[in-house]
Amino acid sequence: MSDLSNFLAFLGLVTTLLMVWRQSRPARVRLLAAQSLLLAAQAVTIAAFTARYGLLLVAAALVVVKVWWIPRALTRMGRGAPPRPLGPGRSAGIQLLLAGALVVVAYALMLPVTASSALPTRGGIPLAFAMALVGFYVCVSGRDVVGQILGFLMLENGIFALGLLAAYGLPGLVEAGVFLDVLVVVLVTEGLVMQIRHEHAGLDVDVLRELRG
Amino acid sequence: MLLVALLAVPLAGAAFLARARGRVATVGHGLTTLATVGLALAVSVAVVRQTALQALDGFLRVDALSAWMVALVGVVAGLAAVEAPHYAHGASQRFYPFFHLFVFTMLLAVTTDDLGFMWVAIEGTTLASVFLVNFERTRASLEASYKYVLICSVGIAVAFLGTVLLYFADVTRFGDAEYALRWTTLQRLAPGLPGPIVELAFVFLLVGYGTKAGLAPMHTWLPDAHSEAPAPVSAMMSGVLLAIGVYAILRFKPIVDVAAGPAIARRLLLGLGLVSMAVAAVFLWNPRNYKRMLAYSSVEHLGLVSLGLAFGGPWGVAGALLHVANHALAKSVLFLLSGRIRAAYASMEIEDVRGLLARLPLSGPLFFAAMLALLGLPPFGLFVSEVMIIGAGFASGHAMASMTALGLLVIAFAGLLRTLQRMLHGEASGRGGDRGVWAATPLVAALVLLLMTGLAWPPGLARALESIRLVVGP
Repeated sequence: MSDLSNFLAFLGLVTTLLMVWRQSRPARVRLLAAQSLLLAAQAVTIAAFTARYGLLLVAAALVVVKVWWIPRALTRMGRGAPPRPLGPGRSAGIQLLLAGALVVVAYALMLPVTASSALPTRGGIPLAFAMALVGFYVCVSGRDVVGQILGFLMLENGIFALGLLAAYGLPGLVEAGVFLDVLVVVLVTEGLVMQIRHEHAGLDVDVLRELRG
Repeated sequence: MLLVALLAVPLAGAAFLARARGRVATVGHGLTTLATVGLALAVSVAVVRQTALQALDGFLRVDALSAWMVALVGVVAGLAAVEAPHYAHGASQRFYPFFHLFVFTMLLAVTTDDLGFMWVAIEGTTLASVFLVNFERTRASLEASYKYVLICSVGIAVAFLGTVLLYFADVTRFGDAEYALRWTTLQRLAPGLPGPIVELAFVFLLVGYGTKAGLAPMHTWLPDAHSEAPAPVSAMMSGVLLAIGVYAILRFKPIVDVAAGPAIARRLLLGLGLVSMAVAAVFLWNPRNYKRMLAYSSVEHLGLVSLGLAFGGPWGVAGALLHVANHALAKSVLFLLSGRIRAAYASMEIEDVRGLLARLPLSGPLFFAAMLALLGLPPFGLFVSEVMIIGAGFASGHAMASMTALGLLVIAFAGLLRTLQRMLHGEASGRGGDRGVWAATPLVAALVLLLMTGLAWPPGLARALESIRLVVGP
């Protein structure tokens, strides 16, 4: 079980880094769906090996919300806009380097957590935490609204993975509430993004400069 | 039973108001508000008499700290609700349901004992209020809403990271997953929790909930959202929503203090508090927009609250909690009046507002009085709570921090006073008239409450603050 869960966590981090590297919006949305699918696989793995069948429900919710519905919403938000940022792009190399540094930071910060865990899934804990940190970085450095929302969802996925690997998921009620929150966040931002596109004819966050001081 | 009703009323009201129109909607809004405020006060009184109320197998639990917040939400929501019909007309279906949903999420956040569910409720406050921030649907309000929902959701996700780490620390040691995130459980088990992990969790929790509390440097969403929202919503956001961020931090502080020692929380709160006060002082020296000015003043006051919690001791904690309440009253009155000023002058620029005392013969003097209260002048309550906090700083050996805070308070004071002077006097510009005496009554009542916390504490206040201190710890 250890090997399988570590491998899935590793693949999760790979999709995260690929999302930092890729510039094309549709490709990044597909990578997010893949990452969420890996999380669902992780939940199923843990459910199968530890007989916690409640996690199967969580996996099903993941597939519906994060693999199917949210990528569709993100695609709707970006429809018709150019698939990659116009103008001189920033070098993906430096971004990747920064993301790599965050992975190292994640390992250092998670040392006490990994050390005090006895679960077979503990090997993936720093990887999940790294996913969250890189997601946070993608969100704050994003230059278009879809990119920022993608970063937020990567952060959410990272935290979810951390809960899964470190404690086999959170209490059911909290987990359900979190799903609902993520769903509503995407719904609300979709409405706002559509309005922003209508007002400013674009997805670039640089157009949002009405409020200063 | 009382607790369930307290939550059910605003929720049912919101559901009803989503369909109601016209006069029915206004009446429904009034009745829902009346019932909510009544229940909130009843819950608080019941807690002051007993020790704590519980419902739903302990899932809902109101102790002295929660009761303080419930009362605050009730009072500020009541003030804001009176003013709301002036803003909602014509689009009440986009206003009233979200207004009461917003109140519901705030009440849920402070009454649940489950810290995971508290997270859900606090994220819910953002999602319910973002529609209200974007109520006017201008370019500026759209931008403010987007920044608000994104920054607060990311911030609160960071708090969730902290919650997951704390859950991990609890479950690995003690098992019992279903109750592991209950505050009562965590508090009982705190001595056995692993210090380094709890410390790490608290850093994330503080950054996350600090974002909701508007502490610098995570405050960037606040001036935008608070200035673009309709006045009653600004009043609730500045008055109590920020305080709910502080409440969340306060729930974790006693656990961290026991598990990892009091130094970590003290140091972090001290740093964030001073940075917030400094950022606000710089802006308040020469503001251009009066609603943004009020918003930055909230950053300043929440920074001071954070300092009070860092200083600790009976005066620090009681002073901080009292300051939360005083600030809520003064700031909600000011935001509600800022809506009237905007209606009269058709502008939010300080440059355009002249001769306020002459133009608005009722609202003008009220604005003046509430600003004096906000500036921390006696005989208003903010003077007392500020003295308590600064005094606690000197008493606990933080002389340098107290001196710095005093200096920053003086800078903000001077800037605000100069701005107030410019707005009040001069040749009256603008065209609009003032509202009647009835519309001023609730605001006057709030100012009277501020006089009471400044001059003569109502019976039970000292006892309430003391029982909160017992909940929060040293």
